[in-house]
Amino acid sequence: MSSPSDGIAARVRALAEFLVENDLQSVSIERSDESFEVARVPAAPAVPIAVVGPAAVRVDQIVADRVGIFHLTRPVPFAGEVLDGDRELAYVEQLGIRNPIRNRGAGRVTAILQRDGDVVDYGRALFEIERS
Amino acid sequence: MFHKVLIANRGEIAVRVNRACHGLGVQTVAIYSQADKDAMHVSEADEAYCVGPGPAARSYLDVANIVSTALATRCEAVHPGYGFLAENARFAEICGDHGLVFIGPRPPVIGAMGDKATAKRIMKEAGVATTPGSDILESVQKARDAAKRIGYPVLLKATAGGGGKGMRVVERPEDLDRAFASATAEAEASFKDGRIYMEKLLIHPRHVEVQVLADEHGTVVHLGERDCSIQKPSHQKLIEETPAPNLATKLRSALHDMAVKACKSVGYTNAGTLEFLVAGDRAYFMEMNTRIQVEHPVTEMVYGIDIVKEQIRIASGERLGYTQRDVQPRGHAIECRINAEDPQNNFAPGAGAVTGVAFPDGPGVRVDTHVYDGASVPPYYDSLLAKVVAFGDTRSAAIERMEGALRQTVIEGVRTTTAECLEILQTREFRDGTYDVGFLPAFMTGAAAASQAHG
Repeated sequence: MSSPSDGIAARVRALAEFLVENDLQSVSIERSDESFEVARVPAAPAVPIAVVGPAAVRVDQIVADRVGIFHLTRPVPFAGEVLDGDRELAYVEQLGIRNPIRNRGAGRVTAILQRDGDVVDYGRALFEIERS
Repeated sequence: MFHKVLIANRGEIAVRVNRACHGLGVQTVAIYSQADKDAMHVSEADEAYCVGPGPAARSYLDVANIVSTALATRCEAVHPGYGFLAENARFAEICGDHGLVFIGPRPPVIGAMGDKATAKRIMKEAGVATTPGSDILESVQKARDAAKRIGYPVLLKATAGGGGKGMRVVERPEDLDRAFASATAEAEASFKDGRIYMEKLLIHPRHVEVQVLADEHGTVVHLGERDCSIQKPSHQKLIEETPAPNLATKLRSALHDMAVKACKSVGYTNAGTLEFLVAGDRAYFMEMNTRIQVEHPVTEMVYGIDIVKEQIRIASGERLGYTQRDVQPRGHAIECRINAEDPQNNFAPGAGAVTGVAFPDGPGVRVDTHVYDGASVPPYYDSLLAKVVAFGDTRSAAIERMEGALRQTVIEGVRTTTAECLEILQTREFRDGTYDVGFLPAFMTGAAAASQAHG
């Protein structure tokens, strides 16, 4: 597959993490110590904006089954990210217990529907994952 | 006062609690199951969170999800309503552990009163009359002695019992030996435990209960009694009224006094109800409900006190601000429960969408409900749809108003108890106020026989 290079992916991930850590919601992030290219990365993960891909074969919604506070897991997933293995994308913190949210198989993250720190309830859609 | 309260319930009581909170300037958080997403308690609350799928065990009883919702939304207190977790001492304790105020009595008091044997012992120690009974009867001679002391008729019961197995009614001394032998054998066969004890058999008692309010500063008041003897064969109440008709003044005051004394002796706080069985001129403590009760509106109508608001005020540490002398009842109030049930089919619950909904109004009429035109009645929960309450200066005025109110009550789409409530109001027993707990089962049997005769 001719996907973006690993370097760009890492930078996008870094930006995503930066946004999450600083609880920023705007996509118009400017950092003097980063190049313009990074600041203008189109997949700026200003959740919950979805990046719509080509005609989806099937889009799965990953939903919460516990009520609690939503946290993105590091490395923070971003819209457009291609996931091959199974990994923890986020967790719902409930009474001090971490309830992991996993992507359940390969696919591309097309939407991150909740912000870090949001209260999520039972059945709440958290991620959309396009399966190929 | 609290800033925000989570309401851990559904149906009419969740709507009722929500409005009480709003009346006190308190914000509300509702919880709901996936089957209740369009429910009235959800749309009326300031915030609402889904806690699980339809079956109650996975939603309204999911303690972790409910407590987590309260914490995540920064609630300070939890109102449990009735049913579900309302009398679960462990839930109350978990709320406390997480810094949430449980709107009800303290967990140890819920625990003690929730266990019938413990509650009876505590009441006995507090000088409250309980149904006379014996300990385990090791021999038929012990049974003879116990029966002599208690007085016939008596009931032999298996200590491991349930479903009527190992249970025998004994009306005369000459029947005791044989009944004791057969009850022991049946209990042994059914439960591998043949131990038997004895209780006084009350024949067709009345169910009379006393409402109490107790603040956290030592003030306890009673808000009179309610007669809840119109009960389905399952012992669920259908019609309640206050004051109880034809109750001797002396017995009425004795019930009120016992209730207050009992609350003081256990350090009871918040709203509660002590249930008694009344037979002749005697009353026996049966159990205590450590929560708001379905039939609380009749008491509110005659005392002019909002019991749910009082619960919230008490839990926030406020004083009642009045004593027994300050609370005076006026008039008479009756409640009819409109359930999604088929009375002709042993009150089997129904489910589906309700349509053509119309409720009565006017002076002295109150309806507590969560039902609206197009609302769905999920199959998972209690079948209560609405409580129609009528007030009158006299009992007959209240009955008359209730008849008018029931005639205006329309709920289509599911079979309800409306017509039967109206029929019951018109019986001689109800008119005269001479009914007891045997009334409704006999009335339903009679109605079934009559409808068969008319074929």
